[in-house]
Amino acid sequence: MLELVHFQILSAALFSIGIFGVLARRSAVLVLISIEIMLNAVNVNLVGIAAFSDRAADVRVFGQILVVFIITIAAAEIGLALAIVLRVFRNRGSANVDELNVMKW
Amino acid sequence: MGTEAAFLAPVIPAIAFALILITGRRLPGIAPYLALAAIVASFVVWIVVFLAFLDDGAGTRSIEWFTVGGFEFTWGTTVDEISLVMLGVVSFVAIGIQIYSLEYLRDEPRLWWYFAVQSLFAAAMMTLVLADNLLLLYLGWELVGLGSYLLIGFWWERRPAAEAAKKAFITTRIGDVALLIGFVLLFRATGTFDISDITQLAHAGTIDETQLKWALIFIFGGAAGKSAQIPLHVWLPDAMEGPTPVSALIHAATMVVAGVYLVVRLFPIYNMVPDALDLIAVIGLLTALLAGVMALAMTDLKRILAYSTISHLGFMMLAVGAGFPGVAMFHLLAHAFAKASLFLGAGSISHGTGETDIREMGGLWRKMPFTTVAFWIGALSLAGLPLLSGFFSKDEILLAVHTGRLNDGFLVVTFVAIAFSVLYTGRMLYRVFLGQLLSSNDDAHEPGIRMWAPVGVFALLAAVLGAAAFEWSHNYLGFVSWVTDSEEGFHINAAITGASVVIVVVGLYLTWLIYVQRRISATVISRRLGFVAIAAERKFYFDEVYQWGINQLVLPTARLTAFIDRAWVNDIGVDGPGKTTRWGGGVLRYIQTGMVYNYALGMVIGAVVLGVIWWSV
Repeated sequence: MLELVHFQILSAALFSIGIFGVLARRSAVLVLISIEIMLNAVNVNLVGIAAFSDRAADVRVFGQILVVFIITIAAAEIGLALAIVLRVFRNRGSANVDELNVMKW
Repeated sequence: MGTEAAFLAPVIPAIAFALILITGRRLPGIAPYLALAAIVASFVVWIVVFLAFLDDGAGTRSIEWFTVGGFEFTWGTTVDEISLVMLGVVSFVAIGIQIYSLEYLRDEPRLWWYFAVQSLFAAAMMTLVLADNLLLLYLGWELVGLGSYLLIGFWWERRPAAEAAKKAFITTRIGDVALLIGFVLLFRATGTFDISDITQLAHAGTIDETQLKWALIFIFGGAAGKSAQIPLHVWLPDAMEGPTPVSALIHAATMVVAGVYLVVRLFPIYNMVPDALDLIAVIGLLTALLAGVMALAMTDLKRILAYSTISHLGFMMLAVGAGFPGVAMFHLLAHAFAKASLFLGAGSISHGTGETDIREMGGLWRKMPFTTVAFWIGALSLAGLPLLSGFFSKDEILLAVHTGRLNDGFLVVTFVAIAFSVLYTGRMLYRVFLGQLLSSNDDAHEPGIRMWAPVGVFALLAAVLGAAAFEWSHNYLGFVSWVTDSEEGFHINAAITGASVVIVVVGLYLTWLIYVQRRISATVISRRLGFVAIAAERKFYFDEVYQWGINQLVLPTARLTAFIDRAWVNDIGVDGPGKTTRWGGGVLRYIQTGMVYNYALGMVIGAVVLGVIWWSV
């Protein structure tokens, strides 16, 4: 039988995998994918809480609405981020984040 | 038009000043005529106002300037006997001076600037004279100081002129600080700047006595600075570096008497504070005496006249201190025209001979007979030769000291001071005009009409104005009574008048023996006097003491202040935070690697730490 805690464990696992990916991957594309995984961890969490909450149905639906918004914004964000990665690749011949060390003084 | 038209007198020259500033560079030729037209218009205004005054009597008129909180500040004019006398003197002397300047400064490239400042000065001086409140008076007071500074430094390429301008400005500024303190003290006590209101409040006894006393003493400090009273007299002799017509207008006839005018204007208040009057009398008498002695030791013609001016300003202050402001005004009037003719005459002499040192002159009456007559009238009038105007005003001063609130010691010293004024006058007249004509002065000549006409008019006035002293009708009980609205008629004390005549005759005869007959040697006398003569020649070491004070006290203090400002305020207080921030940034910037995942790691660690804190609290 599925409980709320299972959703939360899944969400935490996804989030941790995402963080690991962001910190450990060297390819900018994989870093972006890891960020998407973290976003989806949040989505799972929201959907789970919305489903198992003992509030009225018209309140619980807000969690799902929020998820739809997050998916939309994530799509826009990943489009922007991939465009940046593409420009970086064109300019520097690589999308390796190790070599992108100009974000400083 | 009535007395309320008086405000036009300062406004017209102010407009001329603005016009000359606009047109000056492009049309320098019209500047003198603009200035002259403006000052003539001011004089016409004076005539109109004077006639209206004779019909309607005194009047004040003011309009609102601005309001701060409950205090209303106004522009206003006061038309009464005192301000009318001053306004007439200022506008009339200024006309003569400007006509004279047309020829005297003919070849100056910056003539338009000279006339611009002349207009500014005239406007400021008339503002000062007509002001019905202390704030407006202070405005005019500072602006005449500015005019004086600019005109002394007219030949600023010459270092002494620039130095003299600076000295005049700073010295009078010291007095002006005191003046401002005095005004503010009065304002704090009464809540108004209006002179007649303050007078009423003072008479009603609403002002604390100590506060009133100190306010008046501070105000006299300002008057002493402007009117070159000891110990703030040092700027006036140096101010002779300016063009001679400027010396005649500003440093003899008008601006320097502003101090006397202020004290006369506030006399109803001063009259309540005997201590302040005592101070005025003592300073005035001391100034009259010491300046007379110094005039005797000077060799530069204009400097002799400058010390003579200081001495006579001292006499005016003495008269006020004795409780007779009307007498001071009468001497002011007599002195203004006599000294204007003297300075302009001195200008004619240096114009004709190229000399200002009296040792390089002598026998000039052969070459410049007209100037000689005018100069002698002016000088003898101030020395107090009977029937000239200075004789009557000096007589009134002696009478004031005798009958006034001062004790007879003052009278004795006043006689001594008068004796000195006769001696330096005799020395000056004989050295310059009598004796042998030097070969270097063979081509000395009379100036043109634009120069000799003003000299002649002023000398004529200096000769005949004494008639104003007499009681002409039951409405006019003599000038002094008219000015102060008093009931007391003109009278003469035979003993005092006799003594002053004896002093004049003996003094002139003594100097005749010394400088014309040469029976008595001047060098032997000064050697006998020893230290006194040397001290007088060195101007009683005032300049040296002040220079010592500046070098030993002012400059070290300034250097210390500058050091504190540099080292503490600037380097630590202002630069300190900036430098610390830059240093901190320089150290901390090595944390920034520029790598995305380092920053991401930072965020994660931060989030974890926040989470731990969240749970543990």
